[in-house]
This record gives sequence, C-alpha cells and structure tokens, in this order.
Amino acid sequence: MAPLNPYTYIQCPCSDSASLGRPSDATSPTSAEADDEDNTFDPRAPRANFSLYPLEYLLYCEDCHQIRCPRCIAEEIATYFCPSCLFEVPSSNLKSEGNRCTRSCFQCPICIGPLSVTSIETPPSDPNLLAPDRAATQHSTYSLICSYCNWSSTEIGIQFDKPNSIHAQLAKIRNGGASRLTAKERKERRKELSHRGGEAAVAAAAAAAAASETSGGQDMDLETQFANLKLFYNSQLADPNAGDNGFSSLGDLGFSSPSSLSRIMNLYTGGKLHDPRAKSKLGAMREAITADEGLLEPDLDESSLISQLHRSDFLDTASSTQVCSQPPNLGEPHLHGAARFNSSLRPAPYLLRTKRSKRCPVCRHIISKPEAKVQTTRFRIRLVAGSYIPSISIRRLNLPGSNGPGAPAILGDLLEPLKPVHFLLTFKNPIFESLKVTLGAPAKTPGRFPSKVTVLCPQFDIDANTDVWDEALKDNDRESSGRSRRRAGTESQFQVEVGKIWERGRNWVSIVVEVVPASLKLEQGQDLLKEDEDVLEIPMFVRIEWEVENGGDDATTGSGRDKDQKEKRELAYWCVLGLGRIKQG
Amino acid sequence: MSRRPPRGEYIETDTGNKVARKATLVGTQNIMLGGKTVIQPEVMIRGDLIRSIQSSSSSSSGGTPNNTAVAIGRYCFLSRASCLRPPGRLYKGAFTYMPLRMGDHVFVGPSSVIQAASIGNHVHIGANVVVGEFAIIKDYVRVLDETIVPPNMVIPSFSIVAGQPARVIGEVPEGGHEAFELRELYKTVGNNPQPALS
Ligand SMILES: [Zn+2]
Ligand SMILES: [Zn+2]
Ligand SMILES: [Zn+2]
Ligand SMILES: [Zn+2]
Repeated sequence: MAPLNPYTYIQCPCSDSASLGRPSDATSPTSAEADDEDNTFDPRAPRANFSLYPLEYLLYCEDCHQIRCPRCIAEEIATYFCPSCLFEVPSSNLKSEGNRCTRSCFQCPICIGPLSVTSIETPPSDPNLLAPDRAATQHSTYSLICSYCNWSSTEIGIQFDKPNSIHAQLAKIRNGGASRLTAKERKERRKELSHRGGEAAVAAAAAAAAASETSGGQDMDLETQFANLKLFYNSQLADPNAGDNGFSSLGDLGFSSPSSLSRIMNLYTGGKLHDPRAKSKLGAMREAITADEGLLEPDLDESSLISQLHRSDFLDTASSTQVCSQPPNLGEPHLHGAARFNSSLRPAPYLLRTKRSKRCPVCRHIISKPEAKVQTTRFRIRLVAGSYIPSISIRRLNLPGSNGPGAPAILGDLLEPLKPVHFLLTFKNPIFESLKVTLGAPAKTPGRFPSKVTVLCPQFDIDANTDVWDEALKDNDRESSGRSRRRAGTESQFQVEVGKIWERGRNWVSIVVEVVPASLKLEQGQDLLKEDEDVLEIPMFVRIEWEVENGGDDATTGSGRDKDQKEKRELAYWCVLGLGRIKQG
Repeated sequence: MSRRPPRGEYIETDTGNKVARKATLVGTQNIMLGGKTVIQPEVMIRGDLIRSIQSSSSSSSGGTPNNTAVAIGRYCFLSRASCLRPPGRLYKGAFTYMPLRMGDHVFVGPSSVIQAASIGNHVHIGANVVVGEFAIIKDYVRVLDETIVPPNMVIPSFSIVAGQPARVIGEVPEGGHEAFELRELYKTVGNNPQPALS
C-alpha cells in the first residue's frame, strides 16, 4: 500500500448553501465544541469530495471575509496564448481561427510530443537534372518529426515545401498528399452559386448536382458537406414560398419548421439562440436532395477497410485518447466508413491556454488577477487563503509511554489499531495580528470504524506574524529563542498535558492530538473495506478570531467610527486532517 | 534527503554554495553558480561540454570567448545523483553544445537528468525525471517524478507536468507559489545543517 503523507484539507463554505456569502454566525466557542453529531462534517460523505481543498488551492475574499475555492469562484479569461510558442492570441482571432495555435506548433498524433520541422534529405532522383539545374536539386522538402517517438508526417504522406507557415500548408493537404479545399476556397466556390441568385441557384444547383452526384458526392469532405448543408438550409429559411404543410397548428414545434431548424443551426454555428425573423414563418421545408445541397449517400461497402484491418496490427489503429486529441473535422473525408487507423491521424496544433482572473461569487470583487502579458508571472491581485488563515501541519509524535519504547515513528507508517498515538499539529499564523484559535473535533470519527480523538488543547493564541524584514534580521537568534524549548531535550522529556500547548514559536503554536485508531476487523456480514476506508481522517472545526485596526479604507468612507477602535473579526470552517492508514488484520 | 551528513562532507564557498565533495563537476571553469546553491553527492555537472562553434562576433573580435556551459542561479538544489548536461545539436553542419541555463530556486530531484536549454525560476523537478535536449521550462513549473520531458518541449509557467512523454496535467494554484522557495531547504543541508521547520 502506498504510504500516506499527512494532509490537511479545508472545506469551502460554498458547499453549505446556507452560509454562502455570510460571515459565519457568532456561535460561541463552547457550542463549536459541543457540536452535536448531526452537524459534524463527514469527510467520507460523497459530497465532501467537492468541497475539500488543500490550503494553497483556496482564495480569500477580503470584502466577504470568507474562503473561496476553485469550485465557487467565477473565472474570466485575461489572455489566450499558445503553450508552445508562448505567443498571445488576440481574442478576435479565436472566433476566426479557433482555439488552437496557428503558428506551426504541433503535437504528435501518436504520443502528443512536440513536433519539429525537419528537412528531408532527398537525393536527386533524376540524374539528368543534376548538372543544368542546381537550384532544383537543392530544393528539399520538410516534414514534421516527433522528438519523442520519432513519428514523421511522411508516415501519413504529408510533406511540406517550405519550413515556415506549416499550419497553412497542412490545411491544404489531406493525409496521403491529396490537396484539400480550404475554408476560403470553399467560400469562393459557394459565391459562384450564389451569384446566380437565391431561388434560381437552388434550382440550378439541383440540376447541376444531378450530373455531378456520382463524381462529386463521394469525395465531399465533412467541412464541405457542412457548408453545403448550411447554405441549403439558409436558402430554405429565406424562401418566402415555403408552403403550409397542414401542421401549422403545431407551430414552432414542427420538425421541419424553419424556426426549429434555425434554432438547431444556431446551436452549431454559435449564433444567437433565436432568430426573430424566423418566428413569423411557419411551414415545412424540403430536405437536401443533391450533393451540392449537402446530401451524402452513405457508402456501405466497407470491405476494403475490413481487409485493411485484417492486414494491420493493433498498433496501427488509433486509441480513443489519440482520436480525442485530434482537432475536429480536419481533413476527414466524411463520416461514412471512417476508420481509426493511425494513418488517418493528423498533427494536432496545440490547444491554447489561458491566464484567468478570478472573482468572488458573492460580491463580484476580483480576488486573483494575473498580469496580462504571457511572459510575466506577476499578479496584480492575488488574495490567497494562505495569507489569511493559519496553515496546519501534522507530525507524528513519538512518546515512549504511549507508542511502545524506542520504535521511531516514521511518516507513512501504518497506525496500530487500538493503540493511542499522538500527533503534533502546528498552526502557523500568517497575519500581523495575534490569533485566537478554537478547535472542535468529534470524539469519534464518523464512519464504520470510529477512532477516538482527543484534542488536548482546543483553545490557544498564536502570536502575530512579523514583518518579512524583521524575520530576515532575526533569522539567527530565532533558532535560539523559538526552538530552545523542544531542542533542549528529547521529546520524551515532555509530558502530554491536557489544556497545555506543546510548543510555541514566533508565529506558531503546536498542540497534541491523541488518537486511538479503530480496529478494522470486519464482523460477519459486514461489507469488505472500501477504498481508503483505512485512512484515519479527523474532521476538525477551526474557529479563528482576531482584531483589526479600524481606519484606512473605513475612515475614508466616512463611516464615522472611531479610528482607534478595534474591530473583531472571526472566521470558522471545517477541515479534515488525514493522519495515516490504520493497519489491517 | 535531510539526513545529517558527516562533518565536512560539503565544500562551502564564499558565495554560500554548498558543494558535496563527492559530486563530480567536470570543467568547473565553465560552470557558473549564482550562490547559495546546494550540490549533493554523486551529482554530475558536465561543464566540459562547451560550445564548439563560437558565435561569429566573439571569435572574430578576439575577446575572451564565452565558454559558459552550465549557468545556475541562486538557491538551486541539485539532489543526489542528478546530472546537468548541456544540450547539443548540429549547427550549420557541425555538432556543437549549447549552454544550459537555470534560474533561481530550482530543485532537481534525485537521479534526474537535465539537458534543457533553459529552466526558469521557481521550478521543482521530481525524482528520476529526464528533461530532454533543448527543452524550455518556464517559471513556477512542477515536474512530477518519473516524467520524461521530450526534447524541444516548451513548458509554460504555472504548469504541473507528468507522464512519458510529459503532458500538462494541471495548473499551479495561486496559493502554491511560495512552496517553490528553497531558502529553508538550503539551510537544512551542509556541514552545519539546521533542522527543518516543523
Ligand atoms: Zn467554494
Ligand atoms: Zn504556438
Ligand atoms: Zn510522438
Ligand atoms: Zn466577496
């Protein structure tokens, strides 16, 4: 079993809808301790998974005085950039170019490693050309090569004439080397059609398609088909003569009604959800009947694919992860008979990444805001919970009386059932005010195997954090003052005393928690141990109180309060301490 | 890692570098240490792999050629048996090594091999990691144990990467920046190590 390092997860208040946005109620410390069983937070409850976070993942809203987690904050994208070339992509480009890098940054379709452009040394194939035309022989072609698995774009029959603007070149080549219509060319083609005028075009297209159906239909790729269909349905929507089909009583719900169609099309093309113009129109439309209108007859003869499968091995077929990392619709001929051979995979342009600011869900204030530039790592605003609430670190304490003589406790050691163990919890105060901490923990951990928990010192004060510069200056004598208590003797010389803190430092306090791990022996008829049911987790309610100077912002707002008056603040939250695994059997 | 070494295991320089006597530094004149860097036993740094082709400006002007093969910033920590090796490639038809640059607060885990072109500031590289030639790792990046970063890969800031080949599996959270600081770790090794903060 993997050793388990002790951990502390903190519950964000957003999981409790009642407390969202409100500072915690002023419950007295005693009531926190006497928390009845019903209110005890159960870290094993399935819902708990969604609200527990390590401290570093939590932010803090200074206006709500509350913890905020990745689940409840609202994100806003500040910058889009390519993770490979680190160039910023203006958001205007996203709409036209999509969410992938267009600057020749590609990932290997086989292993996702980065691809680099390499020239292919082609020996002059025609010796006659050698002497008279040197320029032609020096002309080399280029391919994309994976630096991890050595995959080359030549394996899918793709080579490039130039080492630059690979993205544009790739857009014009299908796997195997055949050329492919780009979006622009497709548009131009369509223009020819539309020049002939709306209604006439449809009729003309229908006539033309009848002739070209056999030739043009089958090599229509997905993008062309979609474009054709879109054009066709648009012309249908625009057609004022769409007749009444007798279902007008169904109104907008009719399957072939223009309004439901335009709604569906808007889903795919990202337009507005409802076209007001379509509302007035009712009636049926016909469906595409030719290739130019987007009709594609399925080719049900898959015998060639089947024989190809017979000839190839498992490794020649693409895995679902490989297929999923492919950019959509790129160069796919059409969906009918689409096979998943490696030879149909294409280099995948890198997906863009973002820098995001984060807002408090309640007051909408920004609580994290990175600098927009890609290359800088600075933040304009970064209100992390770690600078407002104490961190809790856990260490196993080895006391001769309790844990058997001599045996040194190592982190990750299994906990003996029914034998008391001591853990040292160190609370470190990050703020420049002294903190009053009150802890509450259920006497027995929730779940099938309750372990006994005793917090030996549930109430204590932690001194204020001092300035970073003071810290640096005092760096040397801190060792002598802050640590002398413990380092003077071995831990065994200390007595675990109820109500007394174990050790105190500049801005930290250590206390002892005694735990009697439950026995994991299963009685007859009991279900087997579930995953991680042997992990000893203690739910703990932490309540911190401190005082802040009134003034600063408050004074300028003219609240009329006394500047010298100190304001009391408090924050309370559940956290979970993962202490270790209990020995089985 | 924080085992207490016997007295004198490290050579401590004026700039605060702690270099284990059992580390192998080849071509020390080409290795630049920013100071306060820890180099544990069995670490190898290949300072001998210098550029064989000088950039045209420096070779023609007759000035002293820049032979830096490995440049390391402040508060870096090279764990036991890790290896720093400048990357090499063909340049205009000839093979040459290029310098390996490393910023401040870079942790390199045990038995990891680094052949990157550059590693930024505040980077944590786990154990048994291979960073391929000419890879670029930006600031605040965490590379988990056993990762293989392919040659030429660029890893943007605030990425958590893992896997073979490496892929970005997560983002370093806003509250996780301070964890990259190596000042405290620096104090826990050397000839007079201080105990780690609890
Ligand atoms: Zn939340
Ligand atoms: Zn790019
Ligand atoms: Zn590959
Ligand atoms: Zn707020």
